[in-house]
Amino acid sequence: MKNSILKIKNQPNLVIGGFITAVIIFMALFAEVLSPYHPVNDADLMVSEEPPQISYLMGTDDQGRDILSRVIYGSRISLSIGIVTQLMNTIIGIIFGLSAGYFGKWWDDFVMGLTNIMLSIPSMIFALAIMALIGPGLINLFIALGMTNWAYTCRITRSQVLFTKSLDYINAAKALGYSNTRIMFTQILPNILGPILVIGTLGVASAILMEASLSFLGLGIQPPDPSWGGMLATAREQMFTAPWLSIFPGLAIFITVLGLNLFGDGLRDILDPHSYSKIK
Amino acid sequence: MKKIFCFLLSSIICFCFFTTNAQAAKKGGTFNFIAPYGGDLSSLDPHKTNRSQDYIVILNIHRSLYIWSSEKGKPVLALADSVDISKDRLTYTYHLKKNIKFHNGRGVTADDFIWSYQRILNPKTVSSSVRNIRIIEGADDFISGKSKSIKGLKKIDNYTLQITLKDVVEPGFSLYPPEVAILPKEEVIKRGDGFGVSPVGCGPFKFSKWVKGSEVVLEKFNNYYEPQKPYLNKVVYKIMPEAASRDIAFKVKELDATIVGSVNYPEYKRNPDISKNMLEIAELWTRVICFNVDYGPFKNKKVRQAVNYAINTKLINRKLLKGKAVNPVSFLPPTSPAFSENVKGYEYNPEKARQLLKEAGYEKGFTFECLGTDNSTWGVRAVEALIPMLRKVGITVKPVRMEGAAMATRAKTGNFQALIWSLDSGPDPLSALSRWKSDNKRNGGNYCGYKSAVYDNYLDLARKTTDENKKLDYLKKADQTFLKDAPVWFYNYNKAVMAYHPWVHGLQPMSVELMFQDLSGVWVDDKSPRKR
Amino acid sequence: MLQYVVKRILLFIPTIFFISLIMFFILNVLPGDATTMSGGLKRQLDEQTTANMRKQLGLDQPLHIRYFKYMKGIVKGDFGKSYLRNESVNLLISERIMPTLQISLAAILIAVGIGIPLGFISALKQGSWIDTLSMVTAVSGVSIPQFWLGLILMYVFSLVLNWLPPQGYGDGGFMHMIMPSVTLGVGYMALIARTTRAAVIEVLNEDFVRTARAKGISELAVNYRHVFKNTLILILTTVGLQFGSLVGQTVIVEKLFSWPGIGSLLVDSIFQRDIPVTQGCVLVIIGVFLIVNLVIDLLYVVIDPRIKYTESNR
Repeated sequence: MKNSILKIKNQPNLVIGGFITAVIIFMALFAEVLSPYHPVNDADLMVSEEPPQISYLMGTDDQGRDILSRVIYGSRISLSIGIVTQLMNTIIGIIFGLSAGYFGKWWDDFVMGLTNIMLSIPSMIFALAIMALIGPGLINLFIALGMTNWAYTCRITRSQVLFTKSLDYINAAKALGYSNTRIMFTQILPNILGPILVIGTLGVASAILMEASLSFLGLGIQPPDPSWGGMLATAREQMFTAPWLSIFPGLAIFITVLGLNLFGDGLRDILDPHSYSKIK
Repeated sequence: MKKIFCFLLSSIICFCFFTTNAQAAKKGGTFNFIAPYGGDLSSLDPHKTNRSQDYIVILNIHRSLYIWSSEKGKPVLALADSVDISKDRLTYTYHLKKNIKFHNGRGVTADDFIWSYQRILNPKTVSSSVRNIRIIEGADDFISGKSKSIKGLKKIDNYTLQITLKDVVEPGFSLYPPEVAILPKEEVIKRGDGFGVSPVGCGPFKFSKWVKGSEVVLEKFNNYYEPQKPYLNKVVYKIMPEAASRDIAFKVKELDATIVGSVNYPEYKRNPDISKNMLEIAELWTRVICFNVDYGPFKNKKVRQAVNYAINTKLINRKLLKGKAVNPVSFLPPTSPAFSENVKGYEYNPEKARQLLKEAGYEKGFTFECLGTDNSTWGVRAVEALIPMLRKVGITVKPVRMEGAAMATRAKTGNFQALIWSLDSGPDPLSALSRWKSDNKRNGGNYCGYKSAVYDNYLDLARKTTDENKKLDYLKKADQTFLKDAPVWFYNYNKAVMAYHPWVHGLQPMSVELMFQDLSGVWVDDKSPRKR
Repeated sequence: MLQYVVKRILLFIPTIFFISLIMFFILNVLPGDATTMSGGLKRQLDEQTTANMRKQLGLDQPLHIRYFKYMKGIVKGDFGKSYLRNESVNLLISERIMPTLQISLAAILIAVGIGIPLGFISALKQGSWIDTLSMVTAVSGVSIPQFWLGLILMYVFSLVLNWLPPQGYGDGGFMHMIMPSVTLGVGYMALIARTTRAAVIEVLNEDFVRTARAKGISELAVNYRHVFKNTLILILTTVGLQFGSLVGQTVIVEKLFSWPGIGSLLVDSIFQRDIPVTQGCVLVIIGVFLIVNLVIDLLYVVIDPRIKYTESNR
């Protein structure tokens, strides 16, 4: 126990990343308390597109709503979309990628075929199809985003497995009679986690931004509910005339992804058996 | 005497010299314009497309019998010098211009008109312009194959064309749009489907190049029938769907003229260099929220009126659209000949709204969904602005954002409670108002499902009368009936705004659609970076 | 090896077949059809014209018959005719695939050219300022929407500095290509830099690298011989995936810069329900994707002979 605390202490990335992530999660949980205004109900056209000032720290949007409050409330939707869909993507991707790379043969061909399909059909078409077949809604948005982007993680995982599985220690593990599952998850996975975590955490940004484009098709968050991606997307034309409309939600995404990315890097260092020894 | 004569002569010579000189000064140069709507163009075959984006270019390659005159606010003769109208106002005899040539050099005769109109009606062409030609007698028989020719379309001689109409209507409204242009038969046949990508017409510019998804280039046609015109050597339409990049391209002087959106409107207005070179006009497009009159609360006229009273429409147009909209009165805009000048629209009056809701039995309010696209002017963004206003009278509105095709499908089947849209309200007031006739179904454009015997009656009277003033009077009455029944929330009329650089001359305030610029009269002076 | 290539190419067929089937199904269950959208949203057609149009396009026939007709064409290499443009899909795509490949390739070159060195340096100098800088760049790279970046570039390089043309294809020349390619490339650069860094760190931690170091080979040699070779696999995979998906994701850049590529053709056709065009674009994108990734897979073997496909597939 002491040992692991020490390990964490030696990981500035993990600490800083964890702190940023914790702050944002805190913001999402206590949005009601933290926001100076209601993100929807306090709209007042009379004060639309006011630049940042004392009463509106981040200014107001085109509908006369406080941007700070919308950024705070928006964290709920954007953070959950970013994290949930990326978790789905990463887990599915790892399972398929690991097994495809490890077992090879027809299973590899099948998984590769599947990823080819997922990677080549535009996500917009998927989203429209989900809209048409099961209708709009937050859960369906999760499905649309979480089920389509795993192929990327899968391919990266597979390529790493192909390289790793020929290394000596894997052969050693095989000789020791470890089960396939055990080799995959305890011997190979920790060694290839780095790139996967990078893709997973950076992917949060694209998931948050993708949410907006899918919401435009009717899937997912509907106005007036705030989401960072949505705020950015509706402000796109006003980029030069009212820059605060897009700067602050953009900054929110940046900080979140930075936090998660740092956290992921730190996590990798702890999970990677080889880096352990280095720290010790 | 001699002196006077000399003076006269010299002044005439001088005058001629100056005018020709002035004409010469107008000549030359390249004009960089835009095609701002949606994505790429789809076809330059006027009979086979139905998109505004295509018409912007088409109307400069092709010519129709009539052309829209922005001065007169109605269609005027283009390919004919004069027309004789029979007493019953059914037969029109056109004396065609004799110097019209197609871009391939062949002269235009009455046969070309007949062939072009037949092509439109031929079901194999699958033309969306059929409705325009259907005003001619015998069109339906031709479509169904009962007759080999259109009965009401006669060639008297090469340069005389006689058109007999089915009903008394003003044929100009149907025969001016670019979609009923006159085409050269031999080129259409020769090129087949390729005609849409390399068209030949009789307009001021001939087709030169189309880089798909990027730009369309037209070149001056030297044998154009109007003397001296066109002035420009070359016209480039840049396909630019993004307002923000149009803004930058205009400021870099890459574009000679651009359409201005509400985002940039205040900025352009404030800039003294730009604001003196801006065209503004109330376009014949009316933005409304259609209430589905079959949906519970909206069955009641008082509820619909209450919504109109509860919304501070002027505030929305001023703040959300930054003044780039004309406040509404009723359905027909001020640029329509049947606009009701002395009538007042709905004022912002929440008290009255509450009162009306109480009378209708909706004291406690109600909830409705309003569909919209992501259009920044007539999409869900506008519906969002209604939320706080309607909440004050107890009504909850839920915006539902949809993709265009999905929403169009629901609009046509009536599967909605309310929806926001931009509807054409001209140029012909009679056909614009016919949208709301009881016998017009939702898939014909009557999205509200509006039914009113009084309204129908006014329109029928307007249709039958031959007295122009009486007709306008009936139309105004119909428009006012519609206003009182309020099957829609009257949002605004589009204020179209075009900005151009000081070296550009001759752009017209086109009320039908500001982007429909006939460039034959447009010229650029020496300050243009693209004059030579 | 040859056997493997042939097998992979043969596997293209079921993949393409399957995708075309899914696409056909999806596109036909979407609400609305080409006749609804032929005039955009504002111009509506009357019922008679709509019916006539549906008949001419064959939209009134049952789904399976349309699918068989379509597949018959595909086998002959004919993607059909656009519903709205009266043009063959083959022609439409062939006109627009080159500009897309052009900026995709340029973007990936930018991404690789900057991303890989950046990733390497930050991995070798973990915790240094350059590492921090590359992380911040990478995170901004993925957080900034392309739309934003494109406009800022346009603002700076066209409006303020007047160095580059703000839009258009020109003659497909270098100057017109710069801004679209950079806009497209930055996000991928970020991803490649971070993945490279992660991969290099992984390899640096591997036993054999540490053994090599212990044996006294100079650090430089270690970097080159072992690290680079083994990291290359990951980088290649990333690049392959990026390039494949890039081809379908150029739409924002295309619309911003009026670039005549396939991305806007695809997206417009989806909204216009111009099914043959959508299908054609997707199939072409898949084709590019499959070929690129086959090449990448073959390169794996060239780089690391220990990966033997024939063996693992037996």
